[in-house]
Amino acid sequence: MGKQKIAKNELITARNITFERSGQALLKDINLSIASGMITMLLGHNGAGKTLLMQVLHGLLEPSAGEIRTIGRAGQKMVFQKPVMLRRTASQYFDFVCPACLPHKKQDWFHKAGLTGRVNTPARLLSGGEQQKLSLIAALATQPDLLFLDEPCANLDFEAIDFVESELLGARDAGMTIIMSCHNKNQAQKLADYIILMRRGRVAEYAEKEHFFSSPTSEAGKEYLSYN
Amino acid sequence: MSFFEPFNIALQLLFSFDAELYDVIFLSLQVSSTAVFSALLFGIPIGAVLAMKRFFGRSALLVISKTMLGMPPVVIGLLVYVLISRSGPLGFLDILYTPQAMMLAQFILILPLSIALSHQIFEKLHSELNLFFMSLGLGELKRVLTLLCEARYELITITMVCFGRAISEIGAVILVGGNIKYLTRVMTSSIALETSKGNIAFALALGIVLMLIALLINLFSHMLSQSVLKEATNG
Repeated sequence: MGKQKIAKNELITARNITFERSGQALLKDINLSIASGMITMLLGHNGAGKTLLMQVLHGLLEPSAGEIRTIGRAGQKMVFQKPVMLRRTASQYFDFVCPACLPHKKQDWFHKAGLTGRVNTPARLLSGGEQQKLSLIAALATQPDLLFLDEPCANLDFEAIDFVESELLGARDAGMTIIMSCHNKNQAQKLADYIILMRRGRVAEYAEKEHFFSSPTSEAGKEYLSYN
Repeated sequence: MSFFEPFNIALQLLFSFDAELYDVIFLSLQVSSTAVFSALLFGIPIGAVLAMKRFFGRSALLVISKTMLGMPPVVIGLLVYVLISRSGPLGFLDILYTPQAMMLAQFILILPLSIALSHQIFEKLHSELNLFFMSLGLGELKRVLTLLCEARYELITITMVCFGRAISEIGAVILVGGNIKYLTRVMTSSIALETSKGNIAFALALGIVLMLIALLINLFSHMLSQSVLKEATNG
């Protein structure tokens, strides 16, 4: 979809973004603006380009062509689908990501995430879900203006998903801009303000949540919603 | 010579505090530890830079360091000999047949090993952590320091491997050191000399001492690794 999408109070603007690897275009003609203070959800099948798009928008990967205008790196954070854990304790990991966080605030975060008993456990020995929660609370504690989340609920149980969803809605209400990918349509309906549907490296549809789920305009959108 | 005779001689030499033996042991440790320390001082940063940066000549440097891994110590000894002999480009240093020459030879022997092993470790860690570091907006120095901290277990192992290679080599030290009693005679060159003199029991005894030193060093390394691991496990 080459047509430019504009959101109000845009925080990121991407124009004609293409990303190629080994001569193959993995992202093509991406034109979009991301609304400030909103949750924008990236949907799409595996390999559609959701993670790649987030990494390009975050500035981790240089696009082969096109232009991205965004806020500085200092105001952004990203939580990866497979959390990157350092060889240090959960508490030390938290301090590494959020060095300015006060001790009592850190305790609060660990308590809210149900990780109080795991403070001194080596981060790499935490379960997948615990690692996911740890990386998320550390990122949230830095209070970034823009937060990228790559399938943040992939390894989580229902209780943890509730925790993550309520924290994300709270952060959004406090003014944080969140761009996240997921495969769960219910979660997208619950959290998202905007939906970007990716298909084969292109933006197939970009719409407000209500419009996307009630009357998708693209064939890709209709097909995507036809799956249970 | 019975099977146990070398062991008896080794123990007698050790517990009688034989001056010649201890001189040889201390010189061996001094030469090898200085060479290893210097090689790691250069090798670890070079390995880290090769893993983290892409620049012209990087591949060539990697190929050279890996090729030099297979270089026989005696060839390195010969090269150093040519360099520091009176007519050589470094002849003015006047260090031929001194412990300094042996340290230089072992340094050149170990440097490629420390570069290659460090590069391998840092490349793996860097590929795991690079996007994370970029996302956090870490500066260059913080990235390097964090990588060093993350690689601490492997760096202990690299140190031990390099030390093992240094203390057990003979070709280079005998060429540039000359195996001079009380000056440049180390354990390996002493073993070679005693064997050539037919003093097999004494040579074997020295070999046992060398093995004991290697065992102690590896035991220390193992305990250090375990304590670091325990510290990480218990927080």
